Amino acid sequence: MQALRLARPRLPLRPANRAFAAAASSAHAAAPAASSASPVIPLSNVEAMWERLSADEQLVIHQQLEELQKKDWKTLSIDEKKAAYYVAFGPHGPRAPVSPPGTLPKVIAGVAASIAAAGVIFFSIRATAPAPPRTISKEWEEAANERALEQKSNPIHGISSEGYSGPGFVTHK
Amino acid sequence: MLRAQLASTLLRARPAATRVAPAFARPSSSAHGQETFESFTERYVNFFQSAQDLFEVQRGLNNCFAHDLVPAPAVVEAAVRAARRVNDYATAVRVFEGVREKVENKQQYQQYLDELKPLREELGINVREELYES
Repeated sequence: MQALRLARPRLPLRPANRAFAAAASSAHAAAPAASSASPVIPLSNVEAMWERLSADEQLVIHQQLEELQKKDWKTLSIDEKKAAYYVAFGPHGPRAPVSPPGTLPKVIAGVAASIAAAGVIFFSIRATAPAPPRTISKEWEEAANERALEQKSNPIHGISSEGYSGPGFVTHK
Repeated sequence: MLRAQLASTLLRARPAATRVAPAFARPSSSAHGQETFESFTERYVNFFQSAQDLFEVQRGLNNCFAHDLVPAPAVVEAAVRAARRVNDYATAVRVFEGVREKVENKQQYQQYLDELKPLREELGINVREELYES
């Protein structure tokens, strides 16, 4: 059953599928056991080396654990228990975390660096910009008002109309 | 002519109206029987006691923990004993991890652990925290 889980981890198997997987895994399981006295892989640090093991070695570990778990569980060592738990439910395969640990600080640092770079670009471009044109000044705008009144421009609703109280062309405070 | 048509329409409409009325009079929530917590517990205890292989046990656990409730200690015990029967230590540990996910706070989880302490000692089950934080 453990080997079945290896063949198709955590997916509900339909009976046909299941029979196939069982047949496949039993055939597969027979091979290494028959070919040699299967080398015993130490279970003390399965967590660290699981990802790097080949499928055959993982199968050997599965078989070892399957045999171990048939014993009284009180006689199992902590390492064997951890190995059994890790192989069945550890963060590998379909349960691997989407983002590896340490991603969040990286994302925060990256976003902060991008914002800082944008600020640097913004202020450096503004610092090298030419001075604003001479027409954008309070004096110029007041002179423009005088000139408009002189010419009686926009006499119905605008600057030259009776009782006009707006700012005219002045936009500076 | 028109009146006859109207009358016939009314006559035709009448049985439908009488059929509809009881449907509205019925309390809406009793359309399906609600399973009580006790019957839920009994159902899953029976399920786990009769589960024959690891696939069945894990399927039952998936279903059992999918409801909006925390399974009773009896269910947890039955599930753990089922895991023992199919010789899968990891699933037994996983049952307790599932309980930890389902309860609302740490006190409740601790209560589950205390309640099931004899079982854990009998079978030699360490919960995940004991495995990885000691």
